[in-house]
Amino acid sequence: MSNIDLPKEQDLVEYRVDRLLEEATTDTRIVVLSRQGDSLDTFPIWVGAPEGNAIKLALDTMITPRPMSHDLIKSFAEHLNITIQRVVIADVKNSTYYATVYVSNKGVERTIDARPSDAISLALRAPCPIYITHDVLKRRSTTNLDAWLAKLESKHIGTPEVQET
Amino acid sequence: MLTQLQVKGLMFDPSNNAYIVVLRDDEHSDMLPIWVGKSEAGAISMALENVTPPRPMTHDFMKSLLDAYDAKVISVVITDLSEHTYFAKIHLMYEDSEYTVDARPSDALAIALRSNAPVFANDSVITKQSSDELQQWLENLKPEDFGKLDS
Repeated sequence: MSNIDLPKEQDLVEYRVDRLLEEATTDTRIVVLSRQGDSLDTFPIWVGAPEGNAIKLALDTMITPRPMSHDLIKSFAEHLNITIQRVVIADVKNSTYYATVYVSNKGVERTIDARPSDAISLALRAPCPIYITHDVLKRRSTTNLDAWLAKLESKHIGTPEVQET
Repeated sequence: MLTQLQVKGLMFDPSNNAYIVVLRDDEHSDMLPIWVGKSEAGAISMALENVTPPRPMTHDFMKSLLDAYDAKVISVVITDLSEHTYFAKIHLMYEDSEYTVDARPSDALAIALRSNAPVFANDSVITKQSSDELQQWLENLKPEDFGKLDS
């Protein structure tokens, strides 16, 4: 993998989509990313219901009768010979995560600003690796997924802090 | 034969809990209603109302990908509406070559509106005589009813 892009490779930690949690009482879903390698860590990102569904379809490798929006993005890339190289959760501002999609065509690299939900949907379909920068990991939202899960299990479901993507 | 259509607006269809994208030709003799889901309607509505969201929505991202390599949407064509399966084609121009990409009409319309690309429909899919019910809806609509979604 090339080193020319910012953030640098050593600033990146690879994560995979572990699962998608449904919050039945609200219109939100939680994408749970899990760290690759020997370190155990999960990184939750709150997304809207349609965005979550787009991720779920890819996670379950569901084939829909007609191409969904992210299938179309992949199809555009295939037609134009654009490679989706990787997606990076690169920033967090006011509890909103920012993603960057790295693409390449005939050696020409471009970066595209995206919501994490779109970036992850595309990464699952491409397929390509998902990274989070050390900086974002340090400044991550303080929302504790385990605490949230515990609440869920005891049926005292509170309203999660919604992170718009 | 193809007919060029304009996206006129969106209506809520309470009986199907869905939205109808209304397309008409310039002479207002042909009309094509296309039923879409809520999030698909939202993507079309934002483009119709020229709303710039704080973060790029899915079709804004789609447009950014094409822009990154100077690929242009030259037109979209609604090719078939049968039962619950709708078909459209997106025509792209990239490095002097044309590419045709299969899509749902909702995605095709959302990207066409963001690219200022013309929308066409095969004459076979255009409702020559719009259903009375739909005609009535259209006649009773106030301008403020168009393009508004309860999100």
